[in-house]
Amino acid sequence: MFDFLQLVRNENMKIYRRIGTWIMLGIILLLVIVSSSLTRWLSEKETMWTVMNGIDQLMYYLITIFTVVISAESVAGEFSSGTIKLLLIRPWSRSKILLSKYISLLLFALVQTLLMFVSSFVLNLILFGYNDSATANEALGVLNSAHPFFYMIQAYVLDYIGLIMIVTFSFMLSTIFRSGGLAIGLSMFIYFFGLIASGILMSLKYKWVEYLLFLHLNLKQYLQSSEIAHHMTLGFSLAVLAGYYIIFIGVTWLIFNKRDVAT
Amino acid sequence: MHSSFDSIEQPIVRLQQVTKTIGRRTIIDGLTLDLPRAEVFGFLGPNGSGKTTTIRMMVGLMSLTKGDVLIEGHSIRTDYEQAIRHVGAIVENPEMYKYLTGFQNLLHFSRMVPGITRQRIDEVVELVGLKSRINDKVKTYSLGMRQRLGVAQAIMHKPTLLILDEPTNGLDPAGIRELRDYLRKLAKEEGITVFVSSHLLSEMELMCDRVAIIQAGKLIDVRSIRSDKPLGEESSQVLFEVDQPDKAVLLLAEHGAEREEDAALVRADRETIAQINASLVAAGIKVYGIRVLNKSLEDQFLEMTGGEQVV
Repeated sequence: MFDFLQLVRNENMKIYRRIGTWIMLGIILLLVIVSSSLTRWLSEKETMWTVMNGIDQLMYYLITIFTVVISAESVAGEFSSGTIKLLLIRPWSRSKILLSKYISLLLFALVQTLLMFVSSFVLNLILFGYNDSATANEALGVLNSAHPFFYMIQAYVLDYIGLIMIVTFSFMLSTIFRSGGLAIGLSMFIYFFGLIASGILMSLKYKWVEYLLFLHLNLKQYLQSSEIAHHMTLGFSLAVLAGYYIIFIGVTWLIFNKRDVAT
Repeated sequence: MHSSFDSIEQPIVRLQQVTKTIGRRTIIDGLTLDLPRAEVFGFLGPNGSGKTTTIRMMVGLMSLTKGDVLIEGHSIRTDYEQAIRHVGAIVENPEMYKYLTGFQNLLHFSRMVPGITRQRIDEVVELVGLKSRINDKVKTYSLGMRQRLGVAQAIMHKPTLLILDEPTNGLDPAGIRELRDYLRKLAKEEGITVFVSSHLLSEMELMCDRVAIIQAGKLIDVRSIRSDKPLGEESSQVLFEVDQPDKAVLLLAEHGAEREEDAALVRADRETIAQINASLVAAGIKVYGIRVLNKSLEDQFLEMTGGEQVV
């Protein structure tokens, strides 16, 4: 087990020794600071919770994009640079090498999520002072009676589940196509097209619509009501996501293990 | 594990009926080959003959359609992690992580094998002569330096088998010479088996103890180059320079002699050479010189592959 952590360390090194990664993290921090400060100086009505919630709503898409970029490069980058050959000829099974990559990507998504959560919470606490609303309903006007802090935590947890799906999806595309650009492009297209189309699809009366991936990526809607269109519940959404997850992981590992490295 | 007796006696690598079929094309066809220990073993063949494919199968980058590769007795198919533990390799170009420094690259690969200390990394860096540049990013390295870094990662975990695919590609003559001397040293002093592929015949002659020749996915021949055995076990072409070549050819008809300008050309081993010389002298023919024609590998190679274009 200790040795396996060395593999994860390697993958982390390959993520964080790149200047691009730090630019991404820098952009997240910068946007949190700029948007919070601007709101503080320009608006009188906002509280720490409303700003924090707003940042989560908007910047989640940014984190998604960054995560897709890093995930798509993870396997494809090794192939396009040729380093895959030196990586694989070690006393480790391909499955474990792939797992170490996958874990490092989940960690990267977590780092971004935590960075956004902590920085927006602390900064807005300082800028706006503590707001003592007892419920999210009072603080944000949403249909949820949890304490605003726990409401935010739930929102971030659900965000992270969405991120896991996106990481897994673009990781799969990266493995299938061995091209980072194609994996990025395709993941983004499917993700954003899905977001836009989900509204229209949702209004269709067909049963199969309920099993489409995109309809379940925005889990935050369950924070306001336990049942959304088509009588879908959080449990149902999670079950659909789990189904897709198993398929994505299965395809990724199967292809990576079977593939002849001929580049 | 094997007893030490076994590991000394056994060839370090056994390729057994290794076959690779892609679609309907058979790229490697029933390749069977044993690599002896502590030798520089060349793998020679024209481009596209299947050298790289074979090497990729030996290190597990490609699957085998049929057959097996045993490294130190471990199957690459069923016991990959044990088999590959003994292997250090550069497959084609030494592609490293360009955005990392040389040291970080070595650190990366060292973490994948238990027991490589920081000290060992420093030792290897010193050995390949990259000490002054090891903390620079690999993207600033010249091809020769990348090659050396490639060698460093390949020998870091003290493998018993070093596999190098076209290692002299892109190296300047000084670099080639350096690499050649280094590989010979590894084989002789450290007892490492070096398996090196190339299409450059002259290179192989200088570098290898033995050469396997492959063409169109088939093993054609295995030749000893630096035979440490006494001369004569193999017969060779011998040129007798004489004053009466016609008479000599006639006399040596039983040896299949041929006239070659002022000389008679025969095929003979060491003992026969002495006998022929004696009979020539006895027949009153003046022998000015006896030359054993060591055919260059290139001649042999061209002969065997039917003069097919190489390089």
